[in-house]
Amino acid sequence: MDKIVAIARKETTVNLKSPVSYILMCLAIIVFNIFFFIIIDENREATLRDMFTLMEFLFVFIIPLLTMKTVAHENETGTMEFLKTTPTTNTAIVAGKYLGVVIYFTTMLALTFPYYVIIEVFANPDRMAIFAGYFGIWLEGLFFLAIGVMTSVWTKSQVLAAMSSYILILALYFAKVGTKYLQGVPHDILSFLSVMGHSESFFQGLLTSSDIMYFISGTLFCLTIARLSTENRIWK
Amino acid sequence: MIKAENICKDYGNTRALDNVSFGIRNGEVIGFLGQNGAGKTTLMRIMTTYLPATSGRILVDGVDIARDTMMMRRKVGYLPETPPLYMNMTVHDYLEFAARLKDVPENQIRKRIDRVCYECSLDDVRNKIIGKLSKGYKQRVGIAQAIINEPSILILDEPTSGLDPIQVQQVRKLIKNIEMQRTVILSTHILSEIEQMAERVFIIKEGRIVKDALLEELLKEYESLEKAFLAIVGYQPHG
Repeated sequence: MDKIVAIARKETTVNLKSPVSYILMCLAIIVFNIFFFIIIDENREATLRDMFTLMEFLFVFIIPLLTMKTVAHENETGTMEFLKTTPTTNTAIVAGKYLGVVIYFTTMLALTFPYYVIIEVFANPDRMAIFAGYFGIWLEGLFFLAIGVMTSVWTKSQVLAAMSSYILILALYFAKVGTKYLQGVPHDILSFLSVMGHSESFFQGLLTSSDIMYFISGTLFCLTIARLSTENRIWK
Repeated sequence: MIKAENICKDYGNTRALDNVSFGIRNGEVIGFLGQNGAGKTTLMRIMTTYLPATSGRILVDGVDIARDTMMMRRKVGYLPETPPLYMNMTVHDYLEFAARLKDVPENQIRKRIDRVCYECSLDDVRNKIIGKLSKGYKQRVGIAQAIINEPSILILDEPTSGLDPIQVQQVRKLIKNIEMQRTVILSTHILSEIEQMAERVFIIKEGRIVKDALLEELLKEYESLEKAFLAIVGYQPHG
């Protein structure tokens, strides 16, 4: 556990010293702010449901940018050789890297919390729906981050890592569209895999164990693949 | 005591190491000498447990390192050919990170950082960003991370590669200072480096150890290490 924290702390320290991290964070928040005011102005409703839907869409594009560097950069610069010759397990390396991006992502999400405060000040929102929405978007983010870390383990190239995670995340995001053209078991499988099918209920204020399990099991699955890939180093 | 038994390493259809066997006593300073691509780095990577051998085994104090990788990693300090540095970190933060990963007890981390900074002459730059340091300083930071856990085995892959002559002298002096009471395995294709630092030489050619001898014996037999190396690898100059 100490080593997971040490790696996560190092990732956070590097992020704090990197202008790119600040620029990405600022750009994301600026875009969120613009859409928040547009949505509130259009809808005139004391809810963040549409905001969560929009954030979910934008995270599809933002998260691969956060994760592409995590392990691919270590593979590229040779620092992975350093990590793997210290008495640190592959599990700790992957978990530490993952925790590092989770901290960054959670900070980004926390910076949108004033939206709730604004709504609370001027109206009487359904608090549970907002908290369920935040929980859902956070869980979904954790899943996307795990996909990003997994693809980052696979390669030395940050661009390739980002592209592969875009492909996987976009496929999961738009899987719901494909369900229209399928029937029977393929339809059911695609419906189950679709992230939108699982995130909608959170944004409506519903917490269901199947949706929570979908995101948690998806996250654990990707982290397990990442850990196995670290051991078998397919980029060599 | 390090004992390698019939180590083979294949990359696809290419055999990088072919039945390599040797024994190294505690405290010996060994030089791996060979042309580029001879298999020196592969052998070192197997010894650090970074790579698994295709067949064969390496025993350290009787324990197979493939079965107990963490034991070996605790004993080893390793400097790869390209120093494994995080360019955005300060020297101090990097060494602290290395110390934590290498199981240095929490209450000794500060003391160890002070010591390696002193030994590697890094005191003046310890709060500087690594990316802004000269190549010589970066190499010293790489050596500092390798010794921060006070390893009993130190493995250095081309430690003076790409340095200017003054930096080469500085790094060699540093290695001479830190090699006391440690088993040091040094890989290079620079003959003078071996002459200055090693007491025993393994000449590696096409994945095999073709000569294992004391430096003194080689010098006695061939007059110079250069002549010994060229004769042993079978190099025939034209004209």
